[in-house]
Amino acid sequence: MIKTTTKKLIKTILINAVIWALALLWVLPFIGLALVSLMPYRGVIVRGWLRLPSLDSLSFKNFIEALANPLYDMATGYRNSVIVASASTILPLISAALAAYAFTYLDFRLKAMLFGLIIVIMMVPQQLVVVPLFFLYNYLRLYNTIPGIVLLHSAWGVAWSTFFLRNYFKFIPKSLVDAARVFGASDFQIFRKIVMPLSIPGIIAATVLQFTWVWNDLFYALTFLVSKENQVLTQKLVMLKGEYHIDWGLLTAGSIITMSMPLILYIAFNKYFMRGVAGWGVRR
Amino acid sequence: MRGTPVKLEGVTKRFRNVVAVCNLKLEISGGELLVLLGPSGCGKTTTLRVVAGLEIPDEGRVYIDNTDVTYLEPGERGVAMVFQDYALYPHMTAFDNIAFPLKVRAKRLRLSKRDIEERVLRVAKMLGIESLLDRKPTQLSGGQQQRVALARALVTEPRVWLMDEPLSNLDALIRLQVRAELKKLQKDLGITTIYVTHDQVEALSLADRVAVMNAGRIVQVGTPREVYENPQHIFVATFIGAPPMNIVKCKVSNNLIECPGFVKRIPGEKLQGLNTIHIGIRPEHIELTRREESDIEGVVYVVEPLGAEYIINVLIDKDTLIKVKTIREVQLSTGDKVYLRVDWKKAVAFDPATGQTLADLLPTLKGEGSR
Repeated sequence: MIKTTTKKLIKTILINAVIWALALLWVLPFIGLALVSLMPYRGVIVRGWLRLPSLDSLSFKNFIEALANPLYDMATGYRNSVIVASASTILPLISAALAAYAFTYLDFRLKAMLFGLIIVIMMVPQQLVVVPLFFLYNYLRLYNTIPGIVLLHSAWGVAWSTFFLRNYFKFIPKSLVDAARVFGASDFQIFRKIVMPLSIPGIIAATVLQFTWVWNDLFYALTFLVSKENQVLTQKLVMLKGEYHIDWGLLTAGSIITMSMPLILYIAFNKYFMRGVAGWGVRR
Repeated sequence: MRGTPVKLEGVTKRFRNVVAVCNLKLEISGGELLVLLGPSGCGKTTTLRVVAGLEIPDEGRVYIDNTDVTYLEPGERGVAMVFQDYALYPHMTAFDNIAFPLKVRAKRLRLSKRDIEERVLRVAKMLGIESLLDRKPTQLSGGQQQRVALARALVTEPRVWLMDEPLSNLDALIRLQVRAELKKLQKDLGITTIYVTHDQVEALSLADRVAVMNAGRIVQVGTPREVYENPQHIFVATFIGAPPMNIVKCKVSNNLIECPGFVKRIPGEKLQGLNTIHIGIRPEHIELTRREESDIEGVVYVVEPLGAEYIINVLIDKDTLIKVKTIREVQLSTGDKVYLRVDWKKAVAFDPATGQTLADLLPTLKGEGSR
């Protein structure tokens, strides 16, 4: 008896040790970032970054510099990123939810083909179409405009989130929708009063995914946003790296500013996020 | 109040290339409770969904109150449905669930908030659930959920009630209680009801008439008594009854029916063109005797006591097992020799090829016969 309990205890301790070690390894880069961003530049260069800094040497100078200095102007970038990411999340999700409803509950011609098309679009790499898109945007005068890039991200977002939400809707028992229909509810009433409230975890998961995807995008931003007042955060972050000299403090502060939004979202919604994974499982 | 008649005329429904319902004709008179009975996959639920408007038939017409509703939206048919899983909305309270059919139609029906509240409360009181109205479905027991689902199907004062195995998710004890209540409620309100089940006991106990379905077709429609006592098809005979009718496979030669364990003499011309027939005998129409002059000799295979009654399995031949039901106490055990006396007036003969009942053969079976 005693032997088995001690064995169990040792096992628990070992497992815990391994998990904690892995977790530490996992957060170490972030801790490093935080340390470097708060420490004076000289200290980092002379004494290295992985150490306990003296408290009075810490300052938010780098953060203030990155946000406020007109040379870097991350505040404008932040504002632009919030606008672009929010709009590029709300727009496609509304249309994706409606489309997913149609794909789940309505019968129409070419339904299977259209759904196949969505899956094909999901598989197209963004880089593949950037050149024709560039010319199209130039022609439509959408080049270097915020609505332009919102439209672009929305178009990409609609495809996968339709797929995602349609799979999520399939988990709602069909009898709930049938019942509503027998009781005389219209499709829009069923959508709003039954399907939407029951898929909140899926909607939140899709929102977080799409928002962080757009937030982290650099490729399309670099291609389609050029003027300083339109640039988003990821572009501003790249410019923190000088040509001949790297101010590590400034760069790490910029990174943390950039990461802050996705980080907050994941922490706030991680419960939904886990449940929302259901959206990737295909159900017929 | 006279109820609303429902009529199905030649309804056919296919899913891809599977025929779910085939040329179905059915008339249900106002206030009647008709049970669609059949094994799973026989098309009974599809038939119900066609009446509800959840499926559009490929062929045929549906009439409610003599109006063609075949292509009408479900909400415009004046029907209400109770689902097997109740289909209660988990994010709404019982009150909101019951109010849902009224709320979505509030504008069309010109209902104020107070009207809705009044009607929900009235129905809730009728079903004895007024104290549960602020609970979510997950906080209700199976029986309570069932009542909420019934209330929701009543609140619109429907002309036709459609029920898709509403009792099958309940515990056995509660099921019996709700079954009786349901029948009383339906009779009191006089709502025409179509009730789908695969449980033949439920069907017989609830129905005014039973429609037995198999493979997308109606095999027989009749009162529970008719369906039980005069099955018109071997399928009905073997589907209804617990245990179902015994089927004995017999050979026909000249004017003799040679069955395993016994022979019956009949006028030959009635069996022209038939080499074999199946004879059906209900377990309760066989009597056990120990006397020699009885009809059939057999050996007890196993005895199943069911409390009030006994099912005795008797081998009358190497591979012919007959079930006998008796309410008398028996002291038999495996291997005992018994004699069976069949009430031939209640036996039925079937054509093995078509499964149809050979009605004209019945009187001849009732005649004398011996081994």
